[in-house]
Amino acid sequence: MTSPARDLEEFRASVRAWCRAHVPVGWRAAQTGIPDAEYVAFQQWWFAELRAAGYAVPHWPAEWGGGMPLARQVVLYSELAAHDAPRLVLAFVAIHHAAATLLAAGTDEQRRRHLPAILDGETWVQGFSEPEAGSDLAALRTTARRDGDRYIVNGQKLWASGALQADWCLLLARTDPDAPKRRGISYFLLDMRSPGIDVRPIKNAVGESHFCEIFLSDVAVPAAGLVGPENGGWRVAQETLGAERGLTMLELAERLGNAGFRWLVAACSRQGLLDDSLVTDRLAALETELTALRGLCRGLVERHEAGRAGPADASIVKLYYSELLQRMTDFGTEIAGLSAHAVLRKPASSGWESGAWMLDFIGSWEWTIPGGTSEIQRTIIAERGLGLPREPA
Amino acid sequence: MNAAPRQLGDETSPEDLAEARAELRAIARGLLGKTRVPAAPGWGLMASSGWLGLEVPPALDGAGATFAEVAVIAEELGRAVARGSYLGSAVLGVGTLRELARHPATDDLLRRTAAGDAVPAAVLVPGGSAGGRHGGGVPFWLARTADGLRLNGQAVFVPDAAEATTLLVLARAVDDGAPVIVELDPQAAGIVIEPQPVLDETRRLAMVRAEGAEIATESVRRFAGDPRATVRRLLDRAAVAVACDSLGLSEAMLDATVGYARVREQFGRPVGSFQAVKHACADMLIRVRVARELVAAAVTALAGDPAGIGTVDLSPADVSTAASMAKAYACEAAVEVAGKAMQLHGGIGYTWESGIHLYLKRAALNRSLFGAPAAHRRRLAERYK
Repeated sequence: MTSPARDLEEFRASVRAWCRAHVPVGWRAAQTGIPDAEYVAFQQWWFAELRAAGYAVPHWPAEWGGGMPLARQVVLYSELAAHDAPRLVLAFVAIHHAAATLLAAGTDEQRRRHLPAILDGETWVQGFSEPEAGSDLAALRTTARRDGDRYIVNGQKLWASGALQADWCLLLARTDPDAPKRRGISYFLLDMRSPGIDVRPIKNAVGESHFCEIFLSDVAVPAAGLVGPENGGWRVAQETLGAERGLTMLELAERLGNAGFRWLVAACSRQGLLDDSLVTDRLAALETELTALRGLCRGLVERHEAGRAGPADASIVKLYYSELLQRMTDFGTEIAGLSAHAVLRKPASSGWESGAWMLDFIGSWEWTIPGGTSEIQRTIIAERGLGLPREPA
Repeated sequence: MNAAPRQLGDETSPEDLAEARAELRAIARGLLGKTRVPAAPGWGLMASSGWLGLEVPPALDGAGATFAEVAVIAEELGRAVARGSYLGSAVLGVGTLRELARHPATDDLLRRTAAGDAVPAAVLVPGGSAGGRHGGGVPFWLARTADGLRLNGQAVFVPDAAEATTLLVLARAVDDGAPVIVELDPQAAGIVIEPQPVLDETRRLAMVRAEGAEIATESVRRFAGDPRATVRRLLDRAAVAVACDSLGLSEAMLDATVGYARVREQFGRPVGSFQAVKHACADMLIRVRVARELVAAAVTALAGDPAGIGTVDLSPADVSTAASMAKAYACEAAVEVAGKAMQLHGGIGYTWESGIHLYLKRAALNRSLFGAPAAHRRRLAERYK
C-alpha cells in the first residue's frame, strides 16, 4: 500500500543515502582559510553534484529541470541540513533571484538563453542598492538612457554580493527621471563582461570581501536585456525580492534548526554546561523558537504555492529568522567563551551558523540589515499585515 | 436550534476536517461574542452546542470528535476570557474518562457530561502548577484498612473542583501503587473542598482534600493503557489546552490593540501611525504567529492525524516535546502580549472598565497552570544529555 506519507519517507531515505555517499567528510576544515579560486572550484563541483542528483534546482518548473513536489523539497532541505551539506553560495542568486525574475517576467528568449546556462554554472549578482538608496530603494539614481537598440547605463551599485565572480547582474536603473520614483525604474540583465564596469570589493564587519561596489560608466545594455516593460522594473523587482523569502528562508531555517542547534548543544556540552539549568533553559527556549521558525517557513512556502500567502507573511519570516539567528549566535558566543574569539576564520561554503560563533554573531547583521532592515520589516508588518495607518508624509 | 458539530467519520478528508473546524470556530466565536467580556456562556448552551461532548463517542450521544476540536473551543473561550468549567470538565474530565477501561458507570458519566447533566472535574496534580515541576507526582493514595478502602491526600488550585458533580481523583492503587482514578462524590464524608479565590475572576480553583474518605471498590477505575504513559498524556493535554486558551486571549488582545491604535488620535493623528506603536504591534503579531505555530503542532500531535496527511505517527516523547514547547511559549507570550496591550491602550487600558486586566490576569494564571514555562523547558532540556 502506498500513501503520500510513505512515499515521502521513501524519498527521505533516498536523500539520506545520497547525503551519506556525497557530502564530503571534513569539508568545513578543508574550506577554512582557502584562496578564492579554491572556494569557487569547490562550489562549482558541489553544484554539479547536486545537479546530477536532481537536487540543484528542485523548485524550478519541470520543463527547465526542476518540478519536485513541494513536500519533497521540504524533506530535501531538511535532510541536506541534517547531514550538514555545504551551501550553494555562489549559485544562490542565479538559482533563486535570477530564475524567479526570468520565470515571472522574462521573455522566452531570455529564459532559453539563461536558465540552461545557470544549470551549467552561470553565476549572478544583484545590483539593486546604492549609496543613497538603501532602505529607500526606489530612490536609486543609476540611470539607463535609451540609445537606439541599447541603453547606456551610468551609476554606482553597492552591497552586490558575489560581484567579483558573477557573470551577469540583475540591474535596477532609472529610465524616466521625471516620473514618480517607483514608476521610472526599469529592470535589466547586464553582462558583467561589458566594457565600463569596475568591481571593487568592500570588506564587511566579519572581514570578508564578498560584498562589492559596482561602478558603471557608459555601460551599454542591449534593449533585449530589458525585463518587463520600460519603467515597469519596480514590479519585477518585487518578484525577485519575493524569491528571497519562501524556499530560501526554509533552507536557512532548516540549517539553523538542524546542525546549528546541534553545535550549540555540543558547545554547551564541551563547556560542561548541560547541568547548568540557566544554560539549558535558554537552550530549550531557542529550540522551541527554532521549531516554530521551521514550521512558519513550511507554512509560508505552502501558502505561497497555494496563492494564499498574506501580505506580511514573508516579512514576518525574514524578521523572525534574522533576529533568532542573531540571538542564537550571540548565545553561542557567550557559551563558547574566550575560545569563540580565537576562531579567526569561518569555513567558506557554510551558512550563517558555521559554528565559528563570534564570526557568525557578527555575520548575523547581514540578515538584520540587507533585504529590508528589521525596522523596515516591522513597518511593513504593521501596515500591510495589521492595517495600521501609514506615517503622514 | 441544535448547533451541535457534525459527526466525523473515518473517511473524512483533510479538507472536510478543516472546514468542520472552521465552522465550529465561527459558531463558537459568534456565540461567545454576543456578551460583554468576560463571556459567561451558560452550561445548557455549551451542552446544546455540543462542546461538552466533543470527545464523547457518538454511541454515548457525543460528537465523536478529537482533541483538535476541543482545542478550537479552548482557544475561543480564551479569546472571550470566558467563565465556566470547560477546562475542568470537558477537557480534563472527559479526557480522563476516555482513558479509563470501559465500564457502564464511566459510559453513563460520559453520556451525562455530554448532555450537561453531570460536571466531572479531574484532580491530576498536587498543585495546579504541579508544584513548579511538571507532573509533580500523584496527589492521592488509597489504603486498605480493617474497615475497607480509604483515600487520603490533597491537591490545591484544582480547576473547577468546587463546581463539579463528580471528582475524578488521581490516586495510587493499594496493590501495585499504579496510578488509578477514583470516582468521587464531592459531598462524600471525608472529602473537603474549599474554593480558592484568585485575582483572575474568570477561573474557579479549589483545594481538594481527602481525610480517610471511605471508597467503594467499584469507584476505583483502572486506565485502559499503560498508567504512567496515560497520566503523562493527560497532563500534556491539560498543558496544551491552557496554551490554546492563552493563544486565544493573545489574539484578542492583538485585535483590540490594533483596532484602538487605528482610531485613537493624539497629536492630531492616529496613534497607530507612530512608528513606536506600529513596531510594538508588529512584535505582538510575531509572538502570536509563533505561538499559533507551536500550539497547532502540539494539538496535531495530541489529536493524532485521522486523515493520515502527516508523516509518521509521533512517539509519546515527541508528543510531550510538542506540548512543552507550546505551553512554555504560548503562555509566556500571552503575558507579554496582554501587557503590551495594556501599555498601548494608554490610560484607558489601566482602568477596570476597559477589561484588559482580565486578559492579563488570566494570561499570568495560565502561565502557572500545569507547568510553568521553566518546568516545561526543563523537561525539554532532559533530551540534551
